[in-house]
Amino acid sequence: MSASAQLVATASPLQRLIAPLVSPPLFDFWAGLINPAWSWARPLARVVARRVEAQDAVTLVLRPNRHCGKVEPGRHINVSAEVNGRRTTRSYSITNVPGKNGLIEITVKRMEGGKLSTHLCRDLKVGEVLELGPAFGEMTMPERPSGKWLFLAAGSGITPLISLTRQLAKRNMPVDLKLVYWAKTRAELCFIPELRQLAARHPGFQLQTVLTHEAEVLADEARGLIHQAQLTELVPDLAERQVFACGPGGFVETARTLAQDTARSFMAEGFTPAAPIQADAGAETTVRVQLRQSGRTLEVPSGASLLVALEQQGLNPAYGCRMGVCHTCVCTKHRGSTQDILTGETHTEPGTQVRLCVSRATSDIELEL
Amino acid sequence: MSKPQQRNLSPDELARFGAEIDALRARTVADLGARDARYIRNVVKAVRFINIGGRAALMAGAFLPGMWLVGMWILGVAMLSVAKILENMELGHNVMHGQFDWMGDPHLQGKTYEWDIVGTSDNWRKTHNFRHHTYTNVHGMDDDVGYGVLRLFPEQSWSPARLFQPLYAIIFALLFQWGVAVQDLRIGRYFLGRISAKDLAKQAAPTGRKIRRQLIKDYLIFPLLAGPGFWTVFAGNFVANGIRNIWTYTVIFCGHFTADVETFPKSIVKNETRAHWYLRQIRGSSNLSGGFLLNVMTGNLSHQIEHHLFPDVPANRYAEMAPHVRDICARYGIHYNTGSMTRQFSQVIWRILRHSLPSRPAQLEPSLAKQ
Repeated sequence: MSASAQLVATASPLQRLIAPLVSPPLFDFWAGLINPAWSWARPLARVVARRVEAQDAVTLVLRPNRHCGKVEPGRHINVSAEVNGRRTTRSYSITNVPGKNGLIEITVKRMEGGKLSTHLCRDLKVGEVLELGPAFGEMTMPERPSGKWLFLAAGSGITPLISLTRQLAKRNMPVDLKLVYWAKTRAELCFIPELRQLAARHPGFQLQTVLTHEAEVLADEARGLIHQAQLTELVPDLAERQVFACGPGGFVETARTLAQDTARSFMAEGFTPAAPIQADAGAETTVRVQLRQSGRTLEVPSGASLLVALEQQGLNPAYGCRMGVCHTCVCTKHRGSTQDILTGETHTEPGTQVRLCVSRATSDIELEL
Repeated sequence: MSKPQQRNLSPDELARFGAEIDALRARTVADLGARDARYIRNVVKAVRFINIGGRAALMAGAFLPGMWLVGMWILGVAMLSVAKILENMELGHNVMHGQFDWMGDPHLQGKTYEWDIVGTSDNWRKTHNFRHHTYTNVHGMDDDVGYGVLRLFPEQSWSPARLFQPLYAIIFALLFQWGVAVQDLRIGRYFLGRISAKDLAKQAAPTGRKIRRQLIKDYLIFPLLAGPGFWTVFAGNFVANGIRNIWTYTVIFCGHFTADVETFPKSIVKNETRAHWYLRQIRGSSNLSGGFLLNVMTGNLSHQIEHHLFPDVPANRYAEMAPHVRDICARYGIHYNTGSMTRQFSQVIWRILRHSLPSRPAQLEPSLAKQ
């Protein structure tokens, strides 16, 4: 759906009435002075509370405006904030079970050098506003959960799994659930008091924490990165369980190798780094360019400018000066990384504008064309 | 062509000059951040508040007696003019260049911003961002050389109708926003039989819609809101639009039509390197010297040279880039054309008068000959 069609579809009768007189930017300006989360069409959410969850991890409680879509436990949303003047977007799982009041929570782990995570953990204040994207992700609660489940969480991989655990607890734990939770150190473990309480209250729920970088582990803690012997020891009944794994890419791959064939079912979500895949500017390969509006996918050489590459494939994107001056060929890049041919700078931020005539793709990318 | 006055740079000098300009751009772009975001948002704030203040003053004035009405009306017109000038120049023009694209703010995107003027942003992006900025001052390629209305350089052909151009120049100044609105429609094509009336009407449809929206806003809705003060507000809006027209015309003409500005033949753009392009931008542009107020009110086109070198760098940076550009120019023996508004605009008036009469280009080597 195009942006304008979306605007019409979500406009209220009052909005349709005043639309000829008031432009969305004008409305957003004056409405934003009264309440920064008010907007003509943008899905914004105000931070209403902030809680430190663990070392370098903060939970933000958000009150979305009426343009934000519904989010179910286990799914994630794109969160955007302005960092040093630049709108920066990353994806975060919601960690609560949204109730009648509509509040949603995200838990952000600060990554070293992470632009948005550092901003959200350290600089963001209660009362400020974030922009939210639509929810996505496959790991949602089935209609009738049953059987024996196993959650494997590593680091911030706990975030979708805590919301599912909370949802199961709300439904009085209809499944036999074991949560194995890896973290580097004890101080980085999130939600532990609550998880212990849930384990005490629900006989069908067991919690196992595993620490990878702690010198001494306590009696009820396990130790070490995920491996075969450890998993067999911690989950002897793996074959009977449906597995949901979430964590960094490497963790998820190992978990898949160890559990996919043994377990009843295996579902996983890995966090891929936002960094460019291909750092070497000299090497020329082929990249996949996905075009959102026309629905086409093309294979183009990474060495050429995107404008030339698309033209060679028979497309005719709008262009002007072909030297980066006039911005006629500017187009939204939804994901992937590009390099500025003039300066050699690499741009990885999703949802930003690229000048096709002076940019080349350094990874698979998706464009609004 | 007109007024060649500078020595040619050797290929090596030209390359080093281009590299210095590139480096200045790179270090400025690398430093963009919260400061620039705050600046443009403050401009948005100023536009909105001054605009509403001016409109309120005009309406309030309509209900006041005698001299109070006159005072409030003048205040209202002044504020509304300032708001429109700021919106068109420091906000609209600069945002539409994509100067703030890097922020990712959906309301400040060059591709989608729509400004408070009868011309559509889409036409402007084509005639101005592309044609004028890529082919600056190239005869037959940059429509902004006289806007098809005025003869300002001896290379433009003379006809007896040019004798009346001082008069057209004044009419053009008063109606400047309309000139901008129809520029891309190239209505002349119709009279030359190159386009049918139907096709022209089709191409003009978006402009028509924009014109209607602007007219309804300034000459119907706001006057109606004033009730019995309809004509007071109507006249205020009319005068404010006119003041904006004259001011923008003056600033823009000072940018490319002063005495020492150079224009170029079409052949110049063939195989032009980036360094050549930079050089052409400097030789084809002229600055206005002044302070912060002049910079803001001209949308930083007081730094026309810097704007033409770096059209998509946030304009609030031009003032701090200017001394470096000036220093680079001095070292390479390139004339850096700057002067007070009075000085620069009197030169523009001289050009309008002088070239209404027949004139011939000086027979000299083209200054930007290819090495």
